[in-house]
Amino acid sequence: MSTALYLSTLLAQVGSGRLQGGWEYIWASYAIAWGSLSLYALSLWIRRPKADAASKE
Amino acid sequence: MNTVLQVISAAAALASVVLGIWLGRKWAPPGSRVNAKPVLWGMTAAAAVLLGLGAYLGLVWAPPEREMGEVYRIIYVHVPAMWMSMLALTINFVCCVTYLFKTSWKTDALAESTGEVGLVFGAYGLVLGSIWGKPTWGTYWDWDPRLTAMAIMLVTYVAYMALRRFVEDPEKRAVWSSVVGIISGVNMPIVWFSVKWWRSLHQVQSTPKTVDPDMTLALRVNAWAALILLTLFLLHRYRIALATREAEVALPEALPTDAPGPHSSRTSEVA
Repeated sequence: MSTALYLSTLLAQVGSGRLQGGWEYIWASYAIAWGSLSLYALSLWIRRPKADAASKE
Repeated sequence: MNTVLQVISAAAALASVVLGIWLGRKWAPPGSRVNAKPVLWGMTAAAAVLLGLGAYLGLVWAPPEREMGEVYRIIYVHVPAMWMSMLALTINFVCCVTYLFKTSWKTDALAESTGEVGLVFGAYGLVLGSIWGKPTWGTYWDWDPRLTAMAIMLVTYVAYMALRRFVEDPEKRAVWSSVVGIISGVNMPIVWFSVKWWRSLHQVQSTPKTVDPDMTLALRVNAWAALILLTLFLLHRYRIALATREAEVALPEALPTDAPGPHSSRTSEVA
């Protein structure tokens, strides 16, 4: 019984040969990508030529 | 449906690039009276729609990968970022070479823009690659030829941007940074071919030809979205660089005429 339990545990650890889960890495990557693009867009807007800012006032 | 989406996204991106080049010539130079708002908003909307569609395709529609399972979905943000970085830095290299043969503030401004935007895409692309490495390679970083070459290249572009900030004389800055830009650009083919030249831990380049056909649509839509963003970023950054350059070269002429200035021969026009 203990041998069968050991084998089933071992096989469960081997798995299907495919990485399981990992969505936290995916969300982190998409957040960093979109965050970086948004922050850079914001930096461009802040640095826009003064004539643009003056024309809106 | 697959083909229709590919054609629409490609057409939107290529139209944005053409419009971006046109705006770069007509709207970006200081004093321009061209009303670019409708076009800019259109390009921004196209980028947002394609980004949203690309996220849906990459996160939901595309099937899991045979061995990496769901984790491979990072490819849809990592690879477009690296492509855009390489594209921007290639333009930077061309601008640096061109400037040394034919001096022009516009070329210098475009070099500055491409250097900065390429660095942004490359830096976050490298971070995403590192995150992808943890579940697949078991480590965030490895001194693999591709990773090392890319990291060295980004450091050289950080140096390029730092040099541009430290040198006050616009002419010296343009020449010196062109030389540094050319030296940095030499690393680009090494980065691109490193996965072929050496037994790299990094997989071969992910392109529509090397990935599964089921992944091609998502990869292409995300890449076209990134291309529109690259165009918009370059356009705005180029405009900022031109305005800065005009202010810099106009300044000596505002000085009293009896004050000897080394830059008295400069024109106030961005030529």
